[in-house]
Amino acid sequence: MIADRVSLELKNSLSELDTLGQSLQQFGEALGVANKTLFQICLALEEIFSNIISYGYADDAVHWIKITISHEKGILTIRLEDDGIPFNPLWAQKPDCECPLEERKVGNLGIHLCKKVMDDMIYERFGNKNVLTLKKDIKNT
Amino acid sequence: MEVVEKRQEEICILGLLGRLDSNTSPGFEKKIFEVIGDGTKSLVVDFASLDYISSAGLRVLLKAAKELKRSDGKIVLCSMKDYIKEVFEIAGFVSLFPITSSVGDAVKEF
Repeated sequence: MIADRVSLELKNSLSELDTLGQSLQQFGEALGVANKTLFQICLALEEIFSNIISYGYADDAVHWIKITISHEKGILTIRLEDDGIPFNPLWAQKPDCECPLEERKVGNLGIHLCKKVMDDMIYERFGNKNVLTLKKDIKNT
Repeated sequence: MEVVEKRQEEICILGLLGRLDSNTSPGFEKKIFEVIGDGTKSLVVDFASLDYISSAGLRVLLKAAKELKRSDGKIVLCSMKDYIKEVFEIAGFVSLFPITSSVGDAVKEF
């Protein structure tokens, strides 16, 4: 039987990225998700996860980020919950992707990539938690 | 993640193997800036064996391209998988880098 949900609690450390990637890979492969789609979901997850780690916390304490990956009717949903500073990635400034090399800013691309490769992105704030929900249609893959 | 360095006359070819993500990009950044620091002006980055890239990897390439431009150098990228090329398109990087389908075509860009 194929699991329709996997839950993880990861520390706010980049060393957790491999665990995150492997969990997603296993979950996606069991569902028969195409490699390209799985790559895009993995990319989106890394961008959001690394963003939380880099900008979410003002202290050096260990924080836990809860991630649930689930599947229902051809839609893969990922929910990320963190106790970092309030941050709505949907408000992040879109990088200028048209300007020449000399003027291109280094950085600011991660959230833009995430928005483009996923089908939906919903931000909510509950108490001291940021909750971001990402959705991707995996039916046609 | 592994970076394999080859030389073809004055052109340096860096082959990337594996995943270029938030964890592996600092190692690639160190390598590419070493090569630039040694005076390389013509650089090819071969993506044939690269399976994954995130914004952390794009960031290193952009920094390196800016640095090389200041010394009249150039980076050419080659042999990207389609889904990786799509990331370059979304990021607007296809107008910043020449991208060819093979190493052979890449070295002709200099």
